[in-house]
Amino acid sequence: MAGNNNPGCWAVPEVYKHHEQRKVCISRPKYRDGRKAKSVKVYTINLESRYLMVQGVPAIGVMTELIQLCALYGAVEEYRPLDEYPAEEFTEVYLVKFQKLTSARAAKRHMDEKSFYGGVLHVCYVPEYETVEDTRLKLQDRRRYIIRAAQNKAREKEQEQAVSEEPTPSDTTSEKISARHEPTSDCDNTGESSNMGHFPSFPLLPLPPWEHPYYRHGNQHRTVTTEDKMGTLHNVIMDKKQQPAQSPSSSQISSHTDRGTEHRLASSQSSAVRFVPRNAHLENRKRKKEEVAEHSLTDVAGKNEPLIGPKLPDEPKLEMEDESLNTTVSLIRNTMKQVESVPDLKPVEKKMKQRRRI
Amino acid sequence: MWKKSSSDRFEYLQTLVTEFQDTDSDEAKEQVLANLANFAYDPKNMEYLRELQVADLFLDMLTEENENFVEFGMGGLCNLSMDPECRDIILQSGGIALVTNRLSSRREETILSAITTLMNLRTPSSRSEITDPAILQCMLRFSLSESPRLRNLAAVFLQDCCSEEQVARAEQQMQGQQQTAVGIPLPKD
Repeated sequence: MAGNNNPGCWAVPEVYKHHEQRKVCISRPKYRDGRKAKSVKVYTINLESRYLMVQGVPAIGVMTELIQLCALYGAVEEYRPLDEYPAEEFTEVYLVKFQKLTSARAAKRHMDEKSFYGGVLHVCYVPEYETVEDTRLKLQDRRRYIIRAAQNKAREKEQEQAVSEEPTPSDTTSEKISARHEPTSDCDNTGESSNMGHFPSFPLLPLPPWEHPYYRHGNQHRTVTTEDKMGTLHNVIMDKKQQPAQSPSSSQISSHTDRGTEHRLASSQSSAVRFVPRNAHLENRKRKKEEVAEHSLTDVAGKNEPLIGPKLPDEPKLEMEDESLNTTVSLIRNTMKQVESVPDLKPVEKKMKQRRRI
Repeated sequence: MWKKSSSDRFEYLQTLVTEFQDTDSDEAKEQVLANLANFAYDPKNMEYLRELQVADLFLDMLTEENENFVEFGMGGLCNLSMDPECRDIILQSGGIALVTNRLSSRREETILSAITTLMNLRTPSSRSEITDPAILQCMLRFSLSESPRLRNLAAVFLQDCCSEEQVARAEQQMQGQQQTAVGIPLPKD
């Protein structure tokens, strides 16, 4: 019943209250006034979603750039412009569906209120685009994550106690704790034990959407261990982060000073999650691509494949030098193939062209 | 080093709770409440929040007049109840009845948090209370709602938290005029 091609997701989008950018709260006493101006709002799993809406995209045909930017935070499964959604003059609104909630969360955190081709983006979760199945999986994943965290904590405590002294009392506490946890995971998995196999390694979620410098500071080394398991996003970004420093493009970076400071801010908040300046990132990618190209040229001779005549041109493979980008590209390509096989796509294409004319 | 920072965190949370109890300003209360509810999202804080009895603080908010208090308190419970130990505390404090009452809130966010909290509070011993016909009828109404979020969440509840027979029975009762008022929004004053 909860098919992914729910017709509802193509209906005229409605404007909901949670899309609004709330007023920033300015009356907080210093001790609980974070570094970033925030409104008074409570985040729950209901509000989060792997569907994001990006408002304020300048209407100058930068959809590709926007999706590339999104894909830096994780694989994008689908995206489309929300032409019917009320937008400010000369801007567009996009719907972006990530493969994982964690990617959407990272993208929201890094893209919201950032400038993009002269506009300022507003990024919000749009859980109303979820299917019933999306909602179910989101809740299951969250519950599993919390239970795992509780178990890890219990184990940690056990170890700590074991290290400090007397093994006997620690044994009893750990038994108590694990006994308390078992019934829950049982009751959570009733009827969906088959699902369990599909999500054996739900990545540990990064920190919640809000953050407090206080907190970050204290837990740095713990954060790093969590994020090791985050998969593509963090590994990739960690790889690249040394390169901008030594790259000769520093003059380019400094020409975008305001961007630069933003990134510095972001990087000081989190030790591992770094936002690489976009132009530096792209340059990097270009350089790597060239390197790879050179490499493959020299390597051809070494391959012991027999070369028989001219081969038919292969489907051009796009190497984006980034796992999430590659996944995104292949996802999009597959979708396009599916769409192309349907004969009457024409209206959609026309529509997109019209929109591009600014 | 980690030890130190974790006790810092506890102290910080304690300061928040103290400010919440001491202040007379509703605005400050709302801010602190939202802070605490957001802290409840991170499993690292569960232990401290349990120690500070924040679950009871959130539960107290459910009977407040101020709708922001209710929304934030319910959001906090929604976050806390994911943790098995916090769930048990909420159950012991009579959480199910308090949360159920707020299914008739006028605010969607409050209702959504309430539904998720009820799903989290499900244990072998609390199951019968959570699948009370009144709650099921309410979910059936929500599953026809115009809001996709409410509709989806109610559908998950009906599919995952109770048996088909229970749903069928609730449907019959609805047709047979034995309706309950749970989940019907309160009128504006």
